[in-house]
Amino acid sequence: MKRLHQALSALSLVALLLAACAPAATPTPQVIRETQIVKETEVVEKVATQIVEVEKPAEQVVVRLSGWASSPAETALLESLLYKFSVENPGITVKYEPITGDYKPALLTAFASGTEPDIFYMDIFWWQELAKSEVLLPLDDLMASTGTEKADFIPALIDAFTFDGKVYGIPKDFNSLGLFYNKDLFAAAGLDEPTDDWTWDDLKAAAAALTDTSDPNKPIYGLGVPPDPGRFPAFVFQNGGGIMNADYSDTTLDSAEAVGAGEFYTAFKADGSGALPADVGEGWQGTVFGKGQFAMVYEGGWLIPYLRDQFPNTNYGVVLPPAGPGGEGNLIFTVAWGISANTQNPEAAWKVVEFLTNEASQKQVLESGFALPSRLALKDSDYLKNNAAASAIFRGSLEGARPFFWGAVGSDVNDQISKALERIYKEGQSVQDAFAEAAQNIRDALANQ
Amino acid sequence: MSLSMPQDQSPPPLAGAGAARRPGASRRGKRLAEALTGYAFLSPWLFIFFTFVVFSLGYALYLSFTRYNLLRPPEWWGLEGYQRVLADELFIQKALPNTFKYVLIVVPVQTLISLILAFAMDQKLRFRRGFRTIFYLPSVTSSVVISLIFVWLFAAQGVINQITGLTVNWLDDVNTAFYVIMGMNVFTTSGTLMLIFLAGLQDISPAIYEAAEIDGASKFQQFLYVTIPMLRPVIFFVVTVGVIGCFQVFDQIFVMTNGGPLDSTTTVTYLIYKWAFRDTTIKMGQASALAIILTLIILAVTVLQRRVIEGSGSSTA
Repeated sequence: MKRLHQALSALSLVALLLAACAPAATPTPQVIRETQIVKETEVVEKVATQIVEVEKPAEQVVVRLSGWASSPAETALLESLLYKFSVENPGITVKYEPITGDYKPALLTAFASGTEPDIFYMDIFWWQELAKSEVLLPLDDLMASTGTEKADFIPALIDAFTFDGKVYGIPKDFNSLGLFYNKDLFAAAGLDEPTDDWTWDDLKAAAAALTDTSDPNKPIYGLGVPPDPGRFPAFVFQNGGGIMNADYSDTTLDSAEAVGAGEFYTAFKADGSGALPADVGEGWQGTVFGKGQFAMVYEGGWLIPYLRDQFPNTNYGVVLPPAGPGGEGNLIFTVAWGISANTQNPEAAWKVVEFLTNEASQKQVLESGFALPSRLALKDSDYLKNNAAASAIFRGSLEGARPFFWGAVGSDVNDQISKALERIYKEGQSVQDAFAEAAQNIRDALANQ
Repeated sequence: MSLSMPQDQSPPPLAGAGAARRPGASRRGKRLAEALTGYAFLSPWLFIFFTFVVFSLGYALYLSFTRYNLLRPPEWWGLEGYQRVLADELFIQKALPNTFKYVLIVVPVQTLISLILAFAMDQKLRFRRGFRTIFYLPSVTSSVVISLIFVWLFAAQGVINQITGLTVNWLDDVNTAFYVIMGMNVFTTSGTLMLIFLAGLQDISPAIYEAAEIDGASKFQQFLYVTIPMLRPVIFFVVTVGVIGCFQVFDQIFVMTNGGPLDSTTTVTYLIYKWAFRDTTIKMGQASALAIILTLIILAVTVLQRRVIEGSGSSTA
């Protein structure tokens, strides 16, 4: 009996050695190598480990995961989550393959050549094209297998990744717009700081009072009003209008509500109390805000880490976007994890997605300060209670917010919105004419799909 | 001068054109062996040629008759893609006129500037090697890097405005953005074209200049009546390469303006990219159709050009 035991443990040692050698043969990311080390110590502690368990690494399931790499810090966050996953799931190897540069063309060409990753980022703006082309795995059954429910997520987010009644993507995080304001400039102008209850009238009055262009080298404008399709639509919603109709078969950009919002938005530039980033020589209004030349801007939570890194001395606050005649209105930007319909390992892929979006991971995402979690349960987390800025962006998704999505011709809609605003700014076209022209062009694009 | 002249661009000698005949060996067998050796040496290049040129061109031609979004298999669409291209407002009103405008301005300007530079560098100037290097430097720099430098130079608070005291937002103004890109292209390509001209100039026998000088021709007259006619084949080469390059302008626009402001810098190649990759619903078929149309335009223009230059050549000869 003793001899048998010795033989067994010797055998297990040999197997262990073999297993420890395995990673060296196939070059894999750092993450996996560390897993093996963990395994080793774990096994050494209990000498009686059965052979079966030691053999596991031999039947490793490999899952490829891809996304864009927007910042080194965000990549590090994802890598640390994947490391935790690898510790908990030694049987699954996750290969992280970030795509730098133009993400969507890279992903689509990978699909075209049949080399797409198993798990990938999908932006709300274009993901439906994937669902319509039937290259995504419906997730409902997999969700049921782990007890994940739609109700666990912020409704606007999970609904945005539902197509034909099926869930195709699990939102990984999101952003909405907030009104960022420079506290020092408000104090200098002797104004009360904005609140969540502000309206368009308050915004207009404050913008005029904050504007000070007496120094030609450093003019200060009340509000940034870029010709940006990622900002302006919030004003249309606040005016009770929309960009597209309910089934995205037509545009409502030439409606009275949209034109009214356009008149309100472009008037800031016309009367001098607002400006475009280009007017002060910048490409993005976040930079202008950091430099203290725009007293107020509509931006998302991405501005928070940017200000912390680039302009740590900017003294700012964030409130909900002021309500217009039609009430609250906001835009939701979100990205989900999708799984390829061709994946060889749907269960393993789902395990990864489930892990990356579970409450513990989402909490880590939230506390890193890069993005806001998609899980409803984190609404009352301590972090949000102690971070007024992040809290304002989080709450922005709950009131009057609609996803940043305009249907199958979305990129044309975006182009037309920014061109209409540019024509008003640069060529003096009337808002009515500019939006009518934009609506006509969108209808042409819809007809030519 | 390592640059090959256009006349030298005939295919490399293959089947032992001037091979010495050796008695005893079968002539035909030897020629075959030589041909095979030739093709063996060519095979890496031929492989690349067939994979990346012949196959890609053929596939693009096929795709141009389909509707294809990269996700579903291509679906036969006949001439629908071509019809949509020709009915597209952005193509007819912006991309096509912009592209022709670009070619018509950039090609003459860059040809003239590089010819003058080459003529100057061919004189016995001091430091001409240094100048040559300086003029050639932009051509060996990545176009993306140069584009970014120009973005900063022409920014609203960039160097150009600070020197001139202007407040023009060059790249965000419909009246200036395209000209900045044109200027940049002239700046980057003139160096290479200068080198080609320089090679051509050094092929002109000094005896002809001496003869002209004896006949009392001034330096300017020598340039006009000796240099230019002698350079005719080189000029044809430079203009052709220039026209083709200008019709295909893309990277500078992609980096500097993304086709804006208000489509004032949208060219045909940028439109192809937009349809093929940027639109929410990918239009790979329609983009391929436009690429084929662009190829036909370039082909037509090049043939026309050859006729014109050869025609005028025979009339003055």
